[in-house]
Order: sequence, then structure tokens, then C-alpha cells
Amino acid sequence: MDIIYFLTIFAASIAGLVWGILGSSLPGLSASIVMALLLPFTYTLPPMPAIVMLACCYIGAEYGGSIPAILIRTPGTNSAAATVIDGYEMNRQGRANEALGISLWSGVLGGLCGLAMLVMFTEPLARLALLFRPTTYFGLGILGLSVIASLSGKSLLKGATAAVLGLMIATIGTDPISGVSRFTFGSPDLLEGITPLFVMVGLFAVTELMTRTGVPSASIKPGASIRVRLPRWPMMKKISRAQGIGCTVGSLEGLMPGAGGSVAAFIAYNEARRWSKEPEKFGKGSEEGVAAPEAANNAVASTALIPLLSFGIPGSNSAAVLLGGLLIHGLLPGPRLFETNSDVVTGIYIGSFIADISQIVIGTLILPVCIWLVNRPRPYLAAFIYALIVSGTYTVHQSSFDVGIVMTAGLLGYFMRYFGFPFLPAVLGVILGGLIESNYRRSLVLSGGDFGIFFEDPIAIAFFAIAALIVVGALVNEARAAMRARAAWSA
Amino acid sequence: MRKDLFASVGLLGIAAAYYLASLDIPTSTLEDEVGPRGLPTVLTVLLVVLALALGARALLLAPKAKPAANDNEDAEAPWPRAIGMLALGAFYIMASTIVGYAPALFMLLLAVIFYEGMRPSWRVFVVAAGGAAFFYLLFDIVLGVRQPEGLLF
Repeated sequence: MDIIYFLTIFAASIAGLVWGILGSSLPGLSASIVMALLLPFTYTLPPMPAIVMLACCYIGAEYGGSIPAILIRTPGTNSAAATVIDGYEMNRQGRANEALGISLWSGVLGGLCGLAMLVMFTEPLARLALLFRPTTYFGLGILGLSVIASLSGKSLLKGATAAVLGLMIATIGTDPISGVSRFTFGSPDLLEGITPLFVMVGLFAVTELMTRTGVPSASIKPGASIRVRLPRWPMMKKISRAQGIGCTVGSLEGLMPGAGGSVAAFIAYNEARRWSKEPEKFGKGSEEGVAAPEAANNAVASTALIPLLSFGIPGSNSAAVLLGGLLIHGLLPGPRLFETNSDVVTGIYIGSFIADISQIVIGTLILPVCIWLVNRPRPYLAAFIYALIVSGTYTVHQSSFDVGIVMTAGLLGYFMRYFGFPFLPAVLGVILGGLIESNYRRSLVLSGGDFGIFFEDPIAIAFFAIAALIVVGALVNEARAAMRARAAWSA
Repeated sequence: MRKDLFASVGLLGIAAAYYLASLDIPTSTLEDEVGPRGLPTVLTVLLVVLALALGARALLLAPKAKPAANDNEDAEAPWPRAIGMLALGAFYIMASTIVGYAPALFMLLLAVIFYEGMRPSWRVFVVAAGGAAFFYLLFDIVLGVRQPEGLLF
């Protein structure tokens, strides 16, 4: 291989990776925004390094979102929402460096797994992606929603209520089929709906700032080491099952345009808990609870390129930015891309590999600084988190209205916390509401109102069956727990 | 359990308000069978059912024994103090439209540091000013993402 060609890929992938990690570690800057900010810098570059830089930026951004999720309970990207659950809990137990190490290691494995799928199975997987219909997406949405059953904490009833509240928030904006506005109250700012990230930042970060104000943060040990602790062999063995689940779910989910890393992360989290030897530790600082979603959302970053490169279908906002990059440089995605511009495709493969491997080195260099920052005195930390929230939120649409949405979500989160409603089902409701409603209605439009269409799609039927199993399993568990509690009460 | 009863009443209020607002959704010639009001109606019914179930559970089930307090791990600020923290954010939104991003952020940083119990000192002012300058440089200059412009700056 030409050394210049390799060095160009190397430089582009490292630059893209660093930009992606740093950018998405700022709450509010999603992977797509970070990539969009990079896009103008790539205009002047030749096509190959430009596309490699954007693809590696995507990889870095998918990983970077987990840093604030673990350290300040603020998911940097949508797909890092599931990492908050156990990542932040580990941080509170003074194990931030361990959580970041597990997230880094799982991210690398997930990325490599997704890349292997991308390189080896692009053609058959691309054909599989063509089988996905609106009914399949509806089935996927229902499967995602069923995860609520295990994210509800102590009460399934409260979890379901929180999910309905989330779905209600998701109905705000323009109706996906008829185009009429719903619950916008004449405000143009609400026409696009409520960005899920705002709800997450409000529910997690603002609520945390509100409830912990003036309370000494004794759980975060100030004297703890700031070095990232990458998992050693026993830990690697312990989390390998969760990582395997994350890699599998993420690799398959990435194929589905529109599904995104957040759904993959939640499903992986749920499955990891179901198959874990220590399911009771989930939600209380479980290492597997960090490993599964991180492996999943990093795998998505690679396999999401399959429908994009094969058919030119951008499955997410980030993939759409990458598509923009391809078109700007005169590259037309599709089967011919692999023949006419094989240097670019090979560059993406090699660059992604370099980025995945380099994450370990770059993460190990960046993360101690982040750990040091969050161990500053509480008043300074709270002030800087607040400043980061208001600044990061504003960057999404350059609107102070959005900052107001985040504050409102914070107030909602405060009340939810006070009354004991879990946040995660609400977050899932906001994320999945649009996917479920639009594909349900699209399916019915296609079938002329015949509900039988949902039972003609084998993939959708499989999703419904898994969803039913998850819900029934959770109901049985809750009933058992209630019986045990009653027995203990009467004893 | 009393909390659950209050929550149930609150949720019924939300369901009622949501349903009333859904009546204002306009009709369209492009409407499908379900229509834009379909999901909101289903969600209203679901929320009412869940709220009633929550209320019924609160009334019927015996109250659980209160768990013992577990050091300050889950200690929370009293509600007026928590709302005060949120008010600082609201103040920032207003201030940024008048004095602009960097001065408003300086005030927010300063206010939060004091609100968290730090005593006034030259160090606090330096940290707040440094923080405002850092965020201005990061977002406005390095990333090129415009932050709020005020009437004054």
C-alpha cells in the first residue's frame, strides 16, 4: 500500500476521531451537529480523506456521548442515554475511572464488531435491509417500548405512566402523515417537535442540579485516582456476555435506517440484564449495564454505513451529513461506489479500523482530564455544568426557546422524581413515539386500513413475539416480588 | 402512598388538559384513517386508566414501612431551594436577551457558585469570568456556533 495513502488515512481518521469525541462530549452537540461543524473543513480536502474524517468523526461522536453521561449524568448524544443508568451510578460510588474504562473498551469492541460486519457482509446485509418495511419499524418500536417493562424500577405501573408521558411529548409538533400541527399553540418553535436530547438533558442533568443543590456530594470520592482503569482479564470475562449482546444488537440495528443507536443501546441493556448472572445489580452500578449499551451504540456507527454506502439511504441525521459529504465531493453512493471509488471505500474501512483502535489511546489521554474536572469543588462543578447545558442546548437550533424547553423538562423531572416515576421510560417514549406512530399509520395507509398487514411481515412478528416475552417476563417478576413482599410482611 | 394519590390526581389533570388541547388539532384533507388525533386520544385514555390504577392502588394497599435513612447518599435539597436553582436558568434566558451571551453566562456562573454556598472572594470572580470567556471562545469562536445576542452586547 502507498505510504502516502496510508498516512493520509491515518491523519484524517485521528483528526475526525478527536473532533468527534471532544465535540459530542459537550451536551447538546449531537453526532450529526459535530459532523456538520466539521463538514466545511472538509471542502478543501480531496474526497478520500474528507470522507474518512467524517466517518471517523461519527465513530468518535458515538463514543464521546458516554463521557458526560457517566460523569455528569448528561448524555452527550441520544444513544448515550442508556449508559447514564449504571455509568453515573458507578461514578457516584467513586468508580468513574472504572466506568469510563469499561465504556471505552466496550466501545472499541463494538466498533470493531460493527466494522467486521461492514467489511465482510455489506452485500448480504444490504439486501436484508431492503426487506424492512413500515410494519418492521413499527415492530421495532414496540420492541423498544417493551424494554420499559424492565426499566421501570420498583413499579411497572409508574414506568408505564412515565412512558405515556414521554409519548405525549413526542406528539408535539407536525403530524407525520397529514402535516397538521399538534399541540404547538401557535408557536413556530414547536413545529419540529421536541428534540429528545432536550428532554434527556432536562430530566437527567437539570433535575440532578436541582435536587443536589446545597447537598454535599459525599459519594464522589475527591481523592480517587483520575487514571482511567481499563478492564483487566477477570472484568473482561465478566462483561464479555454483555458486550456480545451489545455487538449483536447494535450490528443488526445499524442496518435499519432510522432506528439509531439509542434504541439499540436500550434493547442491548435490557437483554444484557435478562441474560446476566447478576441482574439485581443493574441500575445500581453494574459493569455489564455500561458495557452492553456502549458496545451497541458503537457497533451501530459502523453498520449504519451499510445502507448508506450500498443504496444511498441515510439512516440517521449523522448518516445524512455523511451523505452530504459524499455528494459534495462528487461521490454517488450505491453499488457503483465500490467499483468506481474503491479507494474511498477502502479508506473508510481502514480509517474506521484505525479510529476504533486509536480510541483506546486517545480516550486514555482525554478521560483523566475529564475525571479531574468533575472532581472540582461542587459549587464550581455545578456552575460549569449549568453553563454547559445552556450553551450546548442553544447550539442545536440557536434558540433560547430550546433552553426554556430544557428547563421545563428539568421541572417535569423534579416532579417525576418527587413522586417516584422513573425517567427512562419517559425518555424511551419521546425517542420512539415518532417511529411507532408514523410507521403504524404508514402501514395502514399501505394496506388500505387492513390490520392484517402487521401479521404478514415475519420480521415484525418476531419483534412482537420478543416484546410480548419481555413484558410477560417483567409482569411475572413483579408479581413474584409482590408475593415475596407480602409473605415477608405477614411473617 | 399519599404521594401516589396526589400523583394520580395530577395525572388526571394532565390527561384532561392534553385532551382539551387535542380538540384544537385541525383536520386535513390528507388525513389517513387514524388521523392526527388518533394517538393523542389513545394516550389520553391510557393516562386516565393508569392514573386511576395508581390512585386505586394508593387507596387499597397498606402503606409500606418507611425505609431507614441511608446517610446522605440520596439526600435532596428542599423544594424551594431546588426551584431556586431552576430560576437561575430562567434568569439566564432573560439576561442573555438583554446583555448578551458572555455577560449573562458570567452572571449565571457567579450566581450558581454563590447559590451552592461558596463565599465571595476574588477567586470566585476570576473563575466565573474565566468560565464565561472559555465558553464564549469555545462556542462562538472555535465552533463558530452563534450564541444569544443581547440588546446591549
